[in-house]
Amino acid sequence: MSSDAPRTACLLVPNLPLTAELRAHPELDGEPLAVASGPGPRAELIAVSAEAARRGVLDQTSVAHARAVCADLIVRIASPALETAARAALLDAALSVSPRASWAPRSAGAFAAEAAVYLDASGVDALFQSEAGFAAALCARARRLGLPGNVAIASSRQLAQIAARRLSGPGETFLLAPGREAAFLAPLPIDILDPEDALAETLTRFGVYTVSDLLALPRRALRSRLGPDVMRLIELAQGRGDDTPLPVPSNARLLEAIDLEFPIDRLESLAFVVQGLLSRLLARLEARHLACGGLALTLQREDGAREARWIGTAAPTLDLRVLVRLVCHALESQPPQAAVESVTLETEGVPIQSDQLDLFRPAGPAPAALGRTLAELEALCGGDRIGSPRVADHNHPDAFQMAPFRPAPPHTPHEPIPGPAGQLAIRALRPPLDASVRVSQGLPQHVRSAIANGRVLQLAGPWRTTGGWWSQEEHFAFDSFDVQTADGTVARLRFDHLRKHWQIDAVYD
Amino acid sequence: MAAAALPTTAAAVEGLLRDLGPQLRRGGAPAEPTGRLATGIAEIDRLLGGGFPRGRLSEIAGAPSSGRTSLALALLARCTAAGEVTAMVDCADAFDPRSAHSAGVSLDRVLWVRTPRTPQALRCAERLLDAHGFALVLLDLAIPDFRSVPATALRLARSAASSGTALVVLTATRALGTAAEVAIELAPAQTRFSGTPALLEGLDVQVSLVRHRNPPGPRYATARLHATRAA
Repeated sequence: MSSDAPRTACLLVPNLPLTAELRAHPELDGEPLAVASGPGPRAELIAVSAEAARRGVLDQTSVAHARAVCADLIVRIASPALETAARAALLDAALSVSPRASWAPRSAGAFAAEAAVYLDASGVDALFQSEAGFAAALCARARRLGLPGNVAIASSRQLAQIAARRLSGPGETFLLAPGREAAFLAPLPIDILDPEDALAETLTRFGVYTVSDLLALPRRALRSRLGPDVMRLIELAQGRGDDTPLPVPSNARLLEAIDLEFPIDRLESLAFVVQGLLSRLLARLEARHLACGGLALTLQREDGAREARWIGTAAPTLDLRVLVRLVCHALESQPPQAAVESVTLETEGVPIQSDQLDLFRPAGPAPAALGRTLAELEALCGGDRIGSPRVADHNHPDAFQMAPFRPAPPHTPHEPIPGPAGQLAIRALRPPLDASVRVSQGLPQHVRSAIANGRVLQLAGPWRTTGGWWSQEEHFAFDSFDVQTADGTVARLRFDHLRKHWQIDAVYD
Repeated sequence: MAAAALPTTAAAVEGLLRDLGPQLRRGGAPAEPTGRLATGIAEIDRLLGGGFPRGRLSEIAGAPSSGRTSLALALLARCTAAGEVTAMVDCADAFDPRSAHSAGVSLDRVLWVRTPRTPQALRCAERLLDAHGFALVLLDLAIPDFRSVPATALRLARSAASSGTALVVLTATRALGTAAEVAIELAPAQTRFSGTPALLEGLDVQVSLVRHRNPPGPRYATARLHATRAA
């Protein structure tokens, strides 16, 4: 097989509604399960599991009829949210082994229930030893994401899809060698080319059942009688397909959603649902070698309103436990106002950080471990209480800033220490403590407070600090003193000119 | 003959020392043992035998204005200047970035965790130790209502040992008992105001080594802390 010939793989899930349901509820695997098009006993079944089929349940029958056939049949209503997520996960599985992939167009005919992605399989021998190894790896990745599917590799995307449709069970693979397309297609039934219903009916009336039957007919006459659609079918029958290069998807937004069978009003139950969504989301992120940089949680309430909130992470993480805690923390701090009937989680995948160790500088925490730790700390304390301290560009004595913690590597192995060691530091008091102060000639003489008490033995000051005069909320004016009280405490005492009271805002320590 | 050669050699060495002067350094033990984090305050480093040990739990106890925050910031400054990553679990919400910057702390290498409750602070410290890679975790428990937590302290000591991180806990009075490998107590000795108009010049603090596995020498020292207006 020439490595220069373009090769395209198709990962195909034959029954998306059923697969999406089983992906969200893996505990139903092996049970008699059917997916109905809507609520009520008259709704039509659009997919049935192998166990349900074994018990005589047929698709395109009503729910009532199916229950009469199989009393313990589990019926789920088709969920567009689950199917959308499963379809997106299919693309993630493809992107885990190939950089170029795209969804196959949806079929309107007999293959409406299937979902497929095309991916570039050219030159994969170097990575996966062979095309068979590539197909097996792709099957395994898809199964890990809860999507048991078939994989076929051919010279064009449509041929690969047709070949994948021929496979019977999930996890099967097929390699169509170049030059063998015509022989492969000839005996296949015409329906496998996915013609439109009207065209398929006409061809059947003409007595055209297989691909070889179709190719035996005069093309000009077919075109004049059946229109341009039949020419597309003939091109497929000849093994010619679309050879446009597949795109490299740039969108890393991943979404998982679930429509709940019953509205949920308890946070514990909601947390359980969120955990399932998150585990699927993280599996997809991991498949694409990405990490979660934050979560957008959307709750569709029973009363029709929608609540959306952003849950940030201190650093990209793939830790399920940490993310569940972050979401629970967000839900507990702001519970939904009504019962929830649909939950959506969306994230922007960000590259997993890596670090190159240096011979000449100390090794800090590994980026992945640091990210996990920061997320855990954020879950414990809240996002606004974790970070790197910064000196605020402001003259208010209480001002400070926090920035995201991203430790910078040193410029040199040992940077000079600015200033001498042994500098007297202050301990901030947040909020400042109120103090009762006796004043004589404008200077504090005696202090009573929760931290410093007694006669003022020594003092320095005052130093006046003012600012924010343009705004009533920001305006401040302090006279600050350094005082040593009789109990030995050295404190920074200040008189607030606006509120006319004394405070201790720091202690020299 | 030999007796005559000795003064000649000694004179040559003296001459070399005089010429080379500050380029020469006394050999022997390094100034900062790799297993210890020095504070840069000579009296305290001497008392501790080089600094606070890595992979061990240490305790700094003292009342307000005893110098424990200054000591902690000096430690942070030395660590961050060496390119180490550090963390400050601030149960008292007392860390002042301006003061730390003035003390020479490279703030972008400090993770500041502001946690209002003691159990949370202890859990945060444990998580930081489990992350492996922080050279120093400072745990500020110098709050009035802090109660001793011997079981947690032992667990923290074990985590510090497995991570190689120096865990230094600030308390108002000694609370960690035997879980601390090194414990020092600080007390204010003298507050210095000077000049006209008067300015706070600094603080002299009495440092007592109350617990050390192998006491390196004297158990008491006096350290001098200098004030700046920036603080």
